[in-house]
Amino acid sequence: MINIKKLPLLVIAISSLFGCTKLDEKLNGQLTEDEFTQLSGGGAGGTPDFTALLNGVYITLYGPWSNQDNIFALQEHTTDEMIGPTRGGDWDDNGNWRVLHAHIWDANHSHNANAFRDLLRTSFQSTDILRFTPTPQVAAEARFLRAFTNYFVLDNWDQVPYRENTTDPNEIPKVRKGLEALDYIIAETEAALPGLPDNAAGVPNFKATKNAARVLLMKCYLNKGVYANRETPSFDAADMNKVITLADEIIAQNRYTLATNYFDNFSPTNDLSTENIFTLGNRDPAAANAGLNGNGVMFNYHQSLHYNSPVANGGGWNGFTTLSDFYDKFDATDKRREASYPGVTDVQGIKVGFLIGQQFGPGGVVLKDRKGNNLDFKRDVHLLETDPIAIETNGIRVVKYVPDYGPQFPTSQDWVFYRYADVLLMKAEAILRGGTATGGQSTSDLVNLVRDRAGLGGLGAVTLDNLLDERGREFYWEGHRRNDLIRFGKFLEPWQDKTQSAPARLIFPIPNRSLANNPNLTQNPGY
Amino acid sequence: MHLATMKRCALLLLAIFGFTALSLAQTVTGTVTDKKGEPLPGVTVTVKGTKNATSSNNSGVYTLNNVGADAVLVFTGAGISRQETAVGGQASVNASLETSVGNLNEVVVVGYGTARRKDLTGSVATVQAKDFNKGIQTSPDQLIQGKVAGVQIINNSGMPGGSTTIRIRGASSIRAGNQPLFVIDGVPIDNTSARPGGADIGVGDKSQGGNPLNFINPSDIASIDVLKDASATAIFGSRGANGVVLVTTKKGQTGAPKIEFNASVGMSKVLKKLRVLNAGEYRAGLAQYNLGTANDEGADVDAFDAITRTGITQNYGVAISAGNEGAKYRLSMGYLDQEGIVRKTNFKKYSANLSGSFRFLESKALGLDVNIIVAQTLDNQPPISNNSGFRGSLIGQALQWNPTKPLRKVGSDSLNVNIGGDVFNPLASSEAVNDLSKVSTILASIAPSFKITKDLEYKLILSANYGTGNRKTWIANFINYNDPRPIQRQVNAAGVVTNAGGYARLANNETNSLQVTNTLTYTKNITSTVNLRALIGTEYLKYNNRNSGMNATGFANVPYPYYDYFQSTDPTQIRHEFYVSPTSELQSYFGRVDLNLSDKYLFTATLRRDGSSKFGENNKYGNFPSFGAAWNMSKESFLKNDFISNLKLRVGWGKVGNQEFPAGASQRRYNVGFGSVTRDQLENPDLKWETSTTTNAGLDFTIFNNKVSGSIDYFRKSTKDILFLKDAADPVIGGGKKWVNLPGEVLNSGVEIALNTTIINNNKFNWEFGVNATFLKNILKNFGAPLETGEINGQGLSEVRSQLFTTDQPLNVFYLKTFEGIDKDGIGIVKDQKTFVGDPNPNILLGISTRASYGKWGLEVNMNGAFGHQIYNNTANAVLTINNLGIGRNTTPEALAAGESLASPISASTRYLESGSYVKLANATLSYRLGNIKFVKGANIFVTGQNLLVFTGYSGFDPEVNTDKTYQDLPSFGIEYTPYPSARSVTFGVNFSF
Repeated sequence: MINIKKLPLLVIAISSLFGCTKLDEKLNGQLTEDEFTQLSGGGAGGTPDFTALLNGVYITLYGPWSNQDNIFALQEHTTDEMIGPTRGGDWDDNGNWRVLHAHIWDANHSHNANAFRDLLRTSFQSTDILRFTPTPQVAAEARFLRAFTNYFVLDNWDQVPYRENTTDPNEIPKVRKGLEALDYIIAETEAALPGLPDNAAGVPNFKATKNAARVLLMKCYLNKGVYANRETPSFDAADMNKVITLADEIIAQNRYTLATNYFDNFSPTNDLSTENIFTLGNRDPAAANAGLNGNGVMFNYHQSLHYNSPVANGGGWNGFTTLSDFYDKFDATDKRREASYPGVTDVQGIKVGFLIGQQFGPGGVVLKDRKGNNLDFKRDVHLLETDPIAIETNGIRVVKYVPDYGPQFPTSQDWVFYRYADVLLMKAEAILRGGTATGGQSTSDLVNLVRDRAGLGGLGAVTLDNLLDERGREFYWEGHRRNDLIRFGKFLEPWQDKTQSAPARLIFPIPNRSLANNPNLTQNPGY
Repeated sequence: MHLATMKRCALLLLAIFGFTALSLAQTVTGTVTDKKGEPLPGVTVTVKGTKNATSSNNSGVYTLNNVGADAVLVFTGAGISRQETAVGGQASVNASLETSVGNLNEVVVVGYGTARRKDLTGSVATVQAKDFNKGIQTSPDQLIQGKVAGVQIINNSGMPGGSTTIRIRGASSIRAGNQPLFVIDGVPIDNTSARPGGADIGVGDKSQGGNPLNFINPSDIASIDVLKDASATAIFGSRGANGVVLVTTKKGQTGAPKIEFNASVGMSKVLKKLRVLNAGEYRAGLAQYNLGTANDEGADVDAFDAITRTGITQNYGVAISAGNEGAKYRLSMGYLDQEGIVRKTNFKKYSANLSGSFRFLESKALGLDVNIIVAQTLDNQPPISNNSGFRGSLIGQALQWNPTKPLRKVGSDSLNVNIGGDVFNPLASSEAVNDLSKVSTILASIAPSFKITKDLEYKLILSANYGTGNRKTWIANFINYNDPRPIQRQVNAAGVVTNAGGYARLANNETNSLQVTNTLTYTKNITSTVNLRALIGTEYLKYNNRNSGMNATGFANVPYPYYDYFQSTDPTQIRHEFYVSPTSELQSYFGRVDLNLSDKYLFTATLRRDGSSKFGENNKYGNFPSFGAAWNMSKESFLKNDFISNLKLRVGWGKVGNQEFPAGASQRRYNVGFGSVTRDQLENPDLKWETSTTTNAGLDFTIFNNKVSGSIDYFRKSTKDILFLKDAADPVIGGGKKWVNLPGEVLNSGVEIALNTTIINNNKFNWEFGVNATFLKNILKNFGAPLETGEINGQGLSEVRSQLFTTDQPLNVFYLKTFEGIDKDGIGIVKDQKTFVGDPNPNILLGISTRASYGKWGLEVNMNGAFGHQIYNNTANAVLTINNLGIGRNTTPEALAAGESLASPISASTRYLESGSYVKLANATLSYRLGNIKFVKGANIFVTGQNLLVFTGYSGFDPEVNTDKTYQDLPSFGIEYTPYPSARSVTFGVNFSF
């Protein structure tokens, strides 16, 4: 028998045969920060690949936008231009759509929660780049994208949490509120603007450019009164003049013209649009910006079209529609209301704009619903559809983006954030709200440019009311309506399937899950 | 030859025979072992018909003098099955006996060693091969379903080779990671299958995972030991919190070479077919709702029958074993071919197991054990997913299919498919989708040992577990699961899509683990009453896995199978999949001391120190101690009586860990995309294991002259530092989460009772009865903000969750809107406010087994049940509602009778929450022992029925169900959604040896 005291020695001897590991974790398919900077920057202490990091920021924009839910749903379902009816077994979805239209959402609403998180994700990735001291243009783009998404957070929640650094996982983000947040966004955008690329030939619209920054600044100044007092906003002439100056900087470039065919701005080749200023790029995988592709924007028409509508990817989802009162704001001759799009309507039968009445497929075939009745879209629609027969066909359908029948999946059209028409109408509004007209353009000159393209005669006098209507007709289902209704003081008013709502509804609640993780956030009043 | 001479000859012959007979009345020795080859002391060996008897010593060895060459030895004893063995003129007669749970000398496998049951201080249950569930069993976990108190085993669906949910003493985690640690002959198995995951082919993206234990042939298993409390599992440290299941495979026995065969053939049918409208009822329904005849397509079909069938299962095995004192080996091979009850589906397994045990040197001090398990499994899965949306998956499509709509076009063989439509022909789905997986696994270990002195033994186990899987999927071009883009499809003159382009995917997966274990065992009788056993060891484990694959659409003009024609598709449209895990390493030091004082007082202490590469920088190592004590009261003089043969009180306490979180979670990571780089998930340098502290008190007893044995255990398991993928404060990177240890507590407590009785035991008739019951309570404490899980899917059911993790409620508590009935307009009324309305965790688990034998006949019946819980019937919620009638789909007679409006919303609500209580006649086996026929030995024929009866009020397919409805990494429990249906099976089999 050996001496027991020698046992530990023996164990050490045996285990030394197999060595001891330091338990350093090798990530394999991913990179540590050191690996990342060394591989892309050439050796220890090198600089990382900023182009790749910046692309990582652009990619974060796909989450919130161009789907049927998330921030888009918050901007549209809550207004008079969109409704998400529950159609029997369809679209109950925990009541998520009904509560938005009826203005009775709460702090557990999942689209509200996802939108808040996804928009702020851009903020995190931008801040993460900036700690590496990137090139001036990369820094400018990152700062612009952070300001751009912070603006939506301010507009919807009034509180914008931010991290001073991205390296302390335990940091509790601080919060900027209301005008303080707006001042920050303006300061950041103004600081970024000189470093951003010009909108020269070859610079795609999905790139953060000087003009994109100018439009963001226009939005900031135009809405400043809203963030000071959302219930009864007032507008300062100095702010309105800033809007006008910024508009003029864009107009003077003579770079943009209103597209002759309004729907070209939303077509599968809308990267060629003469009017789009800032977009979310969705291009062919083989194109130069490969890697920058999101879900595509086909959900924008899938969400509305019927199951038997002739679109790729298995038909539509028979969901959301517009409301007849909104439809009635259009003139019968308004080219934006309904149009045949060349290469689509003549081949597939489907029109663009608002779809009402009997629908047709390729070769003029009469489309049917799932009961075998004619697919005949009706004006009438309600949050809770109760007519067992009309349940599938009620509601005027909306096809803003031209359905893509091309080979790519997802579709290759870009999601449009900012268009030249918006620049013109914002300038008109700024003049109307006390700014000084410039360049010989009156409010009606500006508005009528847009109306003319729609095939309409000019407005005699532009008023806040008819300007709001014009904005509705021009920008329906583009994600601007909630912001417009609030600025024009109409958001709380009753409309179809909605009663007067309380002022608390001007801001969304801070999502419960976000609130639970940050004591610096406070729940917005009324929730 | 005349008569006298003949008489003399006869006398002489008689004398010779007599002499021979006399000379053969000899001394017989032998070793008595259990079926695992462990010696059994204290077994009585009697020469049949005489009073000549002895008993085996501590090494299981017995010696009997004056035994006739034609004598028969009878082996009897407490806790073993009586066995008779003919001497047959041999001087050495070994016996390998069946043991039962009550056997105190039974050798129980514990972590890194063995112990006699009577020396245990922890809660350990053993199931021997003879007690395993019979019939069609594809993986070892199914063998002990309902057999062990405190253990709940659920076949998640009826899919052959499908995954199971195993919970030992309740769930203690709020993430996927409640499965116990499986250890095969000393080698821990990672809980992941090498089978590549399924891809979203258009009917949902979560498909049933493979069972990681499928590679083991159940008929190679000798016993399964379940370590339940922390004093038993703490030796496994950071992996012991969910309990440990130790699987011991069969080994060669000392004796002449033996070859054993088994063969069985079974038939399976659908256990329960859900009742939907037939064609006549459907027409009546259309009339009742004034829906015209547009959706009456004239036929009369039963779509569910069309996609299901009677499945035939064949199972064959052969095992060769032999051994002497220096070398023992066993080689076995098995083949299983199980046809699923859903057409085209099947599961095949080829397996081989070689185990050898060798002793070298004159002293036999040097030993070498080798064990190799090689297996290949193949399966073909139907398009059934866990989260299909409005298109439904195969089962939903079949239930919803309009019964008046022909599945094949009238007057032709071609399938009735409308490419581009939203209603899917289930027969076409079944026909079009092919999803073939192949998993090859090798588990090899080599374990040399050396007895340094009489008392001290060193052992090394080197093992490798390698798995590789590939999955080949293709969808024929006549169905439109995928986006039928114009470039990849063909359209006829009428604009109708005639060819959707098809789909193909190839995926490969590889898992690797390597383990080195060193142990030193010291056993010493310090005095005659003080016995010491000590163990120290080190262990190193390394694991990683990787997978890759590609998929594409647009196979318009090539033959089947499309995965052979990737080169024919647009290269820019081929999508690639790629993943490699971080390498996980585990480095451990452990030790155990057992002290036995006079067989009356037993003490055990263990300690393990685990370091893991997964843990955060600030918490690299964790310590996991345990203590156990037992008092053999029946050894005390004041309790010595005939009534109680054993009474033992056990108490134990221990701390164990759970480290089932993804590698890489503690580090700052960057994801490299094509042209982009992004931060991935927030790091947490403090991340560590989850800690469960268990207290256990138990009483083992054997009473009534060894007729009744059993145990009662009380346990309390508190889990803290809950591992959880938590929402981080915004702004945060994609997913918005990071792995943390939460401050809350999961508390599981309960009582387990196991009872085994021998009601009758005589030469002809034997009847044993066993029952086990578990009473469980589960609660989550101090959790903070509630979190949703239990996603409900289907048309109109987006963003719907049914369960919560929240303070002072059980895990996965059902949190739903209340259904208040149907109003006068036929619209369902659902209260807007959600409340706590049910609990998916059973309060009571029950297992009953009984075995009777009469002469050569044997009957064995196993039942199991669970009570006091609810199941959410997502199937009924999503695919059987009245609304279907209005959209050309089917519904149920009950829905039709309810007079509900077609416009009634189908909100998730208590309407679809049902009691999940059930009792199942899980399996019953009738066998007949043919015995020895010429050279054939031990022949036995049997018939087994499985899932014979289910007593339940649940309206779905099977109350034993757990469709994975995970939401944001939070696991669900107790939800059914169009699962692969369960089967009822009958199997006929035979086994024999020579």
